[in-house]
Amino acid sequence: MNEQVKEILSRVAVETLEQLAFIFSSPEDGPGEIEYDSLMAASVSFAGPFAGGLVMTVSPQVVFELAANMLGVDNEETTLDQQYDALKESMNVICGNLLPAITGKQAVFNIGSPEIITGGEAIKEATEKYNGRSPTSMVRLDIDGEQCVLFLFGDIRITGE
Amino acid sequence: MAINILIVDDSSVMRAMILKTMRMSGLPIGETYQAANGQEGLDALEQHWIDLAIVDINMPVMNGEEMIDRMQENPDTKDIPIVVISTEGSETRIERLQGKGASFIQKPFTPEIIRDTIMAITGIGESDE
Repeated sequence: MNEQVKEILSRVAVETLEQLAFIFSSPEDGPGEIEYDSLMAASVSFAGPFAGGLVMTVSPQVVFELAANMLGVDNEETTLDQQYDALKESMNVICGNLLPAITGKQAVFNIGSPEIITGGEAIKEATEKYNGRSPTSMVRLDIDGEQCVLFLFGDIRITGE
Repeated sequence: MAINILIVDDSSVMRAMILKTMRMSGLPIGETYQAANGQEGLDALEQHWIDLAIVDINMPVMNGEEMIDRMQENPDTKDIPIVVISTEGSETRIERLQGKGASFIQKPFTPEIIRDTIMAITGIGESDE
């Protein structure tokens, strides 16, 4: 089941980044090293047929590109607030598309407001435990050599697709 | 005829993106106004002539669904066309919004979907064909 969830998370994240911000990514296998101190991160919680959370850690370069592409400006023209906003909105869209892909379109979820996580230690903690539980699934994406890792938490039950 | 548009979304980046996408799609846009939640959206409706409201659902202070309900209770705003642009994926919720007369676009969107939905709900372009 975890492999199915991982496949859905990977597909939804790749499609969302492409459609939302023209960012092309490809899933990577293997554990890899995560350099928490140099990453930006955001989380979003959800509740419905099951509850959980989604955390995304991503290289600052990807966030700059995300914000610039969404706004249609050059990378250096975006502010930190816009970069955080773009990261949070991307998380929101990924989560909003992920849940119906897992459960089917009849299920109703309440998605919380995405939150930015700052500091290497806080980011590391957020990727390790959510309500005391380890991630159900983790997906690593390569974006032009930059890192993007998504962690899905919760008692995920596939009922859709 | 150019239409005045109100965009209500708690993400300033998404508001800018919606506006940019609407401009790209060739819609005749007049004045544009922005609000970060439903209450600010209602305030903008009181202050300006709006032909079309673009509304997100998940927002702080007042969510989009409550804003739509309040618009429909008010004789001055009940006939303003509404397009919901949201991450919402539940058909149950989408059908409820459509039952209130709103059109629905799921994020992420394309310029074509925005253009076609707005043309359908406002009737823009019908006389040109």
